[in-house]
Amino acid sequence: MRTGSELTTGPIPVGQFVNLIRTTVRNDSLFQNQVIKGEITQWKSYPSGHTYFTLRDSDGQISAVIWQGRCSIDSSIGEGSVVVVIANLDLYAKSGRIQLIVNRIEPINKLGVLEEQRKQLIELLRSEGMLDRPRKALPSIPKHIAIITGVGSAALADMNRLAENRWPGIRRTVIGVTVQGNLAPNEIVRGILAAGKLADFDLARRLNQPPVDVIIVGRGGGSPEDLWAFNLEPVVRAIIASGVPVISAVGHESDMLVADLVADMRASTPSNAIERLVPEFDQHQMMILNFELRITDATTRMFVDWRNNLRLLQSRLLNAPLQGVYNANQQITDLSNRLTTAIINKFGQSKQKLASLGNIMMLSAQQSIAAEKTKLAVFASALNSAHPNNVLQRGYSMISDENGQIISRTDDLDEGQNIILALADGTAKATVEEITKESGKNE
Amino acid sequence: MSEKMSYGIAVNRLEEIVADLERGGIALDETLKLYEEGAKLLEFCQQELASAEGRLNEMRLSELEEKLSE
Repeated sequence: MRTGSELTTGPIPVGQFVNLIRTTVRNDSLFQNQVIKGEITQWKSYPSGHTYFTLRDSDGQISAVIWQGRCSIDSSIGEGSVVVVIANLDLYAKSGRIQLIVNRIEPINKLGVLEEQRKQLIELLRSEGMLDRPRKALPSIPKHIAIITGVGSAALADMNRLAENRWPGIRRTVIGVTVQGNLAPNEIVRGILAAGKLADFDLARRLNQPPVDVIIVGRGGGSPEDLWAFNLEPVVRAIIASGVPVISAVGHESDMLVADLVADMRASTPSNAIERLVPEFDQHQMMILNFELRITDATTRMFVDWRNNLRLLQSRLLNAPLQGVYNANQQITDLSNRLTTAIINKFGQSKQKLASLGNIMMLSAQQSIAAEKTKLAVFASALNSAHPNNVLQRGYSMISDENGQIISRTDDLDEGQNIILALADGTAKATVEEITKESGKNE
Repeated sequence: MSEKMSYGIAVNRLEEIVADLERGGIALDETLKLYEEGAKLLEFCQQELASAEGRLNEMRLSELEEKLSE
């Protein structure tokens, strides 16, 4: 090995210089048995059994070689793999090329890298406020559910079976996509976009179906890698951008994907999505029928109350002044007519089931009102016959003095007195000629 | 029925109407109004229940995209 003093004696041949470097590098523990992480590019195995590649990351790269038989190479390792190598640095003097002589190579758990990306995406979304943004409300009764998942999957079969149990024939459009592998993210995003188009009101009308009002996107359980599409930014962004509420339904209870964090609802499994979205038809049908019965019962009870009120009014009329009776009778007749008309108009508009319930009510109300009207008519005719004018109609007349004082007894008359006779259609003036009092008729 | 009426709102209103009618002591006109409103809401709810029923469409993404681009 040359010393520094020899360098001063003249120019050093380049080969010697390169070998000087080589010796330095090979003797420096910093460059020997070093553990280095990077991504493989230009991976090439030669028939000789040696494998050459470049190890790189965003900041730099270096050539590397694995001599034939030096170490075992995991079958997953290849172009694009992220690996850890244990290697010695060497310099090939002939080419001046510096390279790593690899003694051991191991793939870094791919998931480790993905997990890192997932964390970064979550942080990004958090900083954008996407994780705690307001969520869209799910429809209480979904009119048209879009289900984005694998066609023919067990998850889809489960969802369909459960949906039919809860609400037979509930409207669904299943959009079959690839849910794992390289194609998955793109297809899921396109599925969400297509479902969004089905939510368009005009398009829905053209297709003669209700607009999609909720989207379920998901798949059944699998390995973390299988579910990974639901951790990727394009899928997550598509869920956030959807105008229709999205339910994320991926894997099992324990799987928490980024899609779950941003969806309008996170279902623990695809089946859970159906359980939480699709109501039970029977329960709702029962509730509506129950409302119908209670409204009808309560209203019928009120009619009974009014009928009783009419009766009360009628009995009070018996003691009321004459003119008051006519007015009140007129009012009651009016009221009865209005009540009947209102019932016919309003209940008559109700349809089908409601109409039949309404009809029963209307009939019972009409019957009770008709009965009241008959009674009132009898009552009113009795009152009418007692009115003085009606007496005059029958040929009687009424006598009063010139001051209008009614005269009913001979004691109130003098011979020669002028009197007024009230007849059915007018009056006549007369003079009293003779007074004859009949005994026993003074009252 | 207003465009904004939803099944949930209708059910809440029906609860109120039933409660009012069952409490009683309401004038004739008001009762008829409530009954009429209740009848309309019930009809709306029945329609809502019926309108959720439809077909099950199953298709590949590409089929749907083709259909949508028509």
